[in-house]
Order: sequence, then C-alpha cells, then structure tokens
Amino acid sequence: MAEEIKKHLQDILNKIDGLQCILFTDRDGVPLLKVNTEKVPESVVKPSFISTFCLAIDQGSKLGLGRTSNLICIYSQHQIVQMNKLPIIITFVASENCNTGQILALEKQLDSVVGVLTSTVAET
Amino acid sequence: MEKNLDRIMEQILSNTDILGCIFTDKQGLCIGAKGRATPESAGYIAAIANQVAKLEPNKETPIITLENDNQKCIIQNIGPITGAIYKNI
Repeated sequence: MAEEIKKHLQDILNKIDGLQCILFTDRDGVPLLKVNTEKVPESVVKPSFISTFCLAIDQGSKLGLGRTSNLICIYSQHQIVQMNKLPIIITFVASENCNTGQILALEKQLDSVVGVLTSTVAET
Repeated sequence: MEKNLDRIMEQILSNTDILGCIFTDKQGLCIGAKGRATPESAGYIAAIANQVAKLEPNKETPIITLENDNQKCIIQNIGPITGAIYKNI
C-alpha cells in the first residue's frame, strides 16, 4: 500500500516542472510520507520548520477570514506551499519559478492519500 | 482594482458561443475567472502555455487550441499574463 502511494506521489512529482519534494507530516512535523528529488535543502524538511506552519495558521485564523487552508512562502531560491489538512500537513518544496497554481491544483488529487494517512494517525 | 478585468471578462462572455474565460499570472495563480472556467484550472493553463512556448523559443508566443467534438479552449500568453477562452464550436 505504502509503495503504491509513494509511486503515485513520485509520478506527480515528475509531472510538475520544478517540484522537488512532497512531504506529509503530522501537526508536530513528524514525517509520515516523503518523496523528493536530490535538490531539496535539508533544513526545509526538518520537523522544526514544518511545525511552524501550525503556529502560522493559528495566527492566520485571527485575521477573521476563517480557517487558513494554504500557506505559500516564496523565497529567493525556493517556494514552500503548505496545506492544512489537520491532523495532516502537506508540504511542497519547489523552485522559486515553479508553477504555484499547479501545486495548489494537486489538493483534490491528494485527498485520497490524506484520507489514508488521517485514519492511520487517528489509530495511533 | 479588478473592476477593469471584470468588465473585460463580461465583454468576452457577452459574445455568442463563449462559455468562459480565465486569466492567470506567470506563477499559475488565478487573476480572474468567469463562466465555465474554474480558478483551479489556472495552474494547468499557465503550465500548458509555458511548455508549448518551449517548442519554438525564439518565436512569438503561440496561440494554443485544445479542441473536442463540441468545444474548444484557446490559450495565449502575452507578457506576464496567460488568458484562456472556452468556446462552443
């Protein structure tokens, strides 16, 4: 099962130009599933970096615009897109000129994977 | 700010046979969408325009038409903006 999901994610990774990593973690940033190319900087996939997202969405919800669903950070060399699927967080790492819209459009495609992982996290 | 774009999209939709239109930026983020076009397709439209432009890198940006039996989707990239129009044949 895990191998099938990984293959599916690897296919998605190969299809989008500039996408370097898809990472599923829990709310503390503990990695559950990861597919990546060699280009990903190590610091980006550390739990300490990813768990910052939880703090950011808590602050974001105070803006009065409802629940924060996505967070896009574009840096000089990379962009990070994180999706709120609590208790799962999906993190995409891509090059700065990668197509952000295409990454956002993956949300529905990954719903099935999120479903499987959510039930796993709930059981443990 | 987007009033002008809204007005232009209304004008496009007022033509007969036009089903929808969408505009995206270079990052594939939706600037505006009306009619049948959905904001979720913005990324794919920008990606198609970028990939097809690589076929002839030194020429002007191409006009791309995707067609089925009864509809077509016309995509063109001009400067930082990519536009797509959905049309009945």
